[in-house]
Amino acid sequence: MTTILELRVQAQLESPGRSFLLDASFNSTTQRTALVGASGSGKSTVLMAIAGLLPQARGYVRVADKVLLDTEHSVDLPARERGVGLVFQDYALFPHMTVEQNLAFGICRLGKRPNEAERDRIDALIRQFDLEALRGAWPRHLSGGQRQRVALARALAPQPHFLLLDEPLSALDAQLRVRLRHELAEMLERVQVPALLVTHDLSDVEALAQSVIHLDKGRVVDSAITESATPT
Amino acid sequence: MTTSSSRWLGKFILLAALSISSAALHAQEVVVSAAASLTNAFQAVGQAFEKSRPGTKVTFNFAASGPLLAQIQQGAPVDVFASADQETMDRAAKANLLAEGTRADFARNTLVLIVPSTATTVPQKLSDLGNAQYKRVSTGTPSSVPVGRYTMASVQEAGLTAALEPKWIYGESVRQVLNYVARGEVDAGFVYRTDALIEKDKTRIALTVPTTTPVSYPIAQIASSKKAALGKDFIAFVRSDAGQQILDSFGFSKP
Amino acid sequence: MLTPLWLTLKIALLATLMAGAVGIALGWWMSQRRFAGKNFIDALLMLPMVLPPTVLGYYLIVVIGRNGVLGQYLDRWFGINLMFTWQGAVIAASLVSLPLIYKAARAAFEDVDVRFVHAARTLGAGEFETFVRVTLPLAVRGITAGLMLAFARAMGEFGATLMIAGNLPGKTQTLSIAIYDAVQAGNDAQALWLTLVISVVCVVVLVVSGRMLQAKH
Repeated sequence: MTTILELRVQAQLESPGRSFLLDASFNSTTQRTALVGASGSGKSTVLMAIAGLLPQARGYVRVADKVLLDTEHSVDLPARERGVGLVFQDYALFPHMTVEQNLAFGICRLGKRPNEAERDRIDALIRQFDLEALRGAWPRHLSGGQRQRVALARALAPQPHFLLLDEPLSALDAQLRVRLRHELAEMLERVQVPALLVTHDLSDVEALAQSVIHLDKGRVVDSAITESATPT
Repeated sequence: MTTSSSRWLGKFILLAALSISSAALHAQEVVVSAAASLTNAFQAVGQAFEKSRPGTKVTFNFAASGPLLAQIQQGAPVDVFASADQETMDRAAKANLLAEGTRADFARNTLVLIVPSTATTVPQKLSDLGNAQYKRVSTGTPSSVPVGRYTMASVQEAGLTAALEPKWIYGESVRQVLNYVARGEVDAGFVYRTDALIEKDKTRIALTVPTTTPVSYPIAQIASSKKAALGKDFIAFVRSDAGQQILDSFGFSKP
Repeated sequence: MLTPLWLTLKIALLATLMAGAVGIALGWWMSQRRFAGKNFIDALLMLPMVLPPTVLGYYLIVVIGRNGVLGQYLDRWFGINLMFTWQGAVIAASLVSLPLIYKAARAAFEDVDVRFVHAARTLGAGEFETFVRVTLPLAVRGITAGLMLAFARAMGEFGATLMIAGNLPGKTQTLSIAIYDAVQAGNDAQALWLTLVISVVCVVVLVVSGRMLQAKH
């Protein structure tokens, strides 16, 4: 089995009155991996390190055949070159842009209008995530479930090699969470992009991931391959 | 009341008593608004006046004559007013601000043209100011500063109004004009001879400027003054031999 | 009659633009980094707002006066003398406006959730693009409020302007100085007229800016 994600990362985080040392190493061979741990265990920090948003990170990160970080060989790709999509915990949709503009952000660069191919890609995404009716809507008018779809679509717009999801369901209420867990599993299965999913909810692990890494106080304490998850 | 707070109260009462009595001492205080050009001379006159009458205090307010008049019109508590031209005093009289029969002339001055001491050339005559090398020429704002009015009248008399029109830099008072020249911010300036003497190191007198009316300083008591006797005394002192000698030492001439 | 008004508007507008460019850049720069001496630089940038206008005017004279630290070279090499010019007045007004824009810009940039910046990065945007497409639009309300305040402050600038630019009717006599001048000359009618003019302009500026800030929603 090929290793999809290889990670050996150390990082020292200092904030007033608090010092946190991340020292995590793990490999993952499954398409979808869950990263679990109590709050404060460093799960989000690991995601930041993979995404290239953690300047203090040292070590080695390889994702789907692409080396993103290799301190020993002075490799440290800036976030915009890593080809890693990130879905934030509260989605972080740009509030001053419509749904369509949010999606287009990852496809068109500054000052350029989308060409035909790019426009097609945007339309395909909108169709794929059932956002046709919401094209011109503002993020603040969307429901939690709608925001999740937009956030996922936006992260996938630049066609990343890898997807990071930070507690994708925690912003939703219990009922919605159950329904959207299925939807998310379906969507992830469809897009065929390997993903690392951070969660503190074991039901998420069951439904969405094929292996799980346990994190505690910045270190990996356990890892396991769960039963293959399929949407029911 | 505790003993410590009663001690503080005692101290406070003592302090209050002292300040009231010292205010009583300063009941012999006279407020004099005087033209800016009189600053140094009148400070000396004031000191001599206080010495000759122990227990009196002269408080001065120096500025251009126009603004001083405006302050008095707005009700400033001034006892004596000394201006640098008759016109300002005339305006005061017209506004019924002066005490009847107290107005008198007490000094004269001369209008001069000065340049910074670092200047490479010095104007030989007034019309030289029309040359290109004199880009900025300063005098007081004519609407409110006497030296500006004297200057404009003389300039008009010499037929130079148009030539100098784009070059004017107005100062808020004659002392500001002096300052502009002393700092080299302007190429030349019109001030009184007495002012030029103050900045002997940084300025040079180029020439004396004839004026269309004599530069004559009047002084008067303000009608609303509550210190009529003291005001009268001060004016008398200014016009006395002692006062005139002090003014002379600063370059003023007899009225 | 209305020359002081056009002069005031021209000077205030240019001063706001100048102070705006510098203030927004500095506000951005200071919002991004943490370094030793940051508080000191912050205090330095706020200084023109706190110093008495005459102190500011004096410092300006020391720097750009004809014999000043910079002024002497301007005079010697280029024949430029900024004293008694409307350009000097623009510099004086910019200086007093700068702290207002800097403070507003810095607060506005700091208020932008860092997660939006992160999102932009992962979506392929570099620093400049992120600034233009994400940070600036999200900070624009706060910055605009700062610019409005700066404009009003620049319009009313008096002390430092008087010292640097003097009181030259038609050239540097702004509305505030014209009012001062009229009062000094005992010309109450003129003073009242000019005061009404500037009051009306200020009210208009406030109403328009209030509407602008509301329209965002």
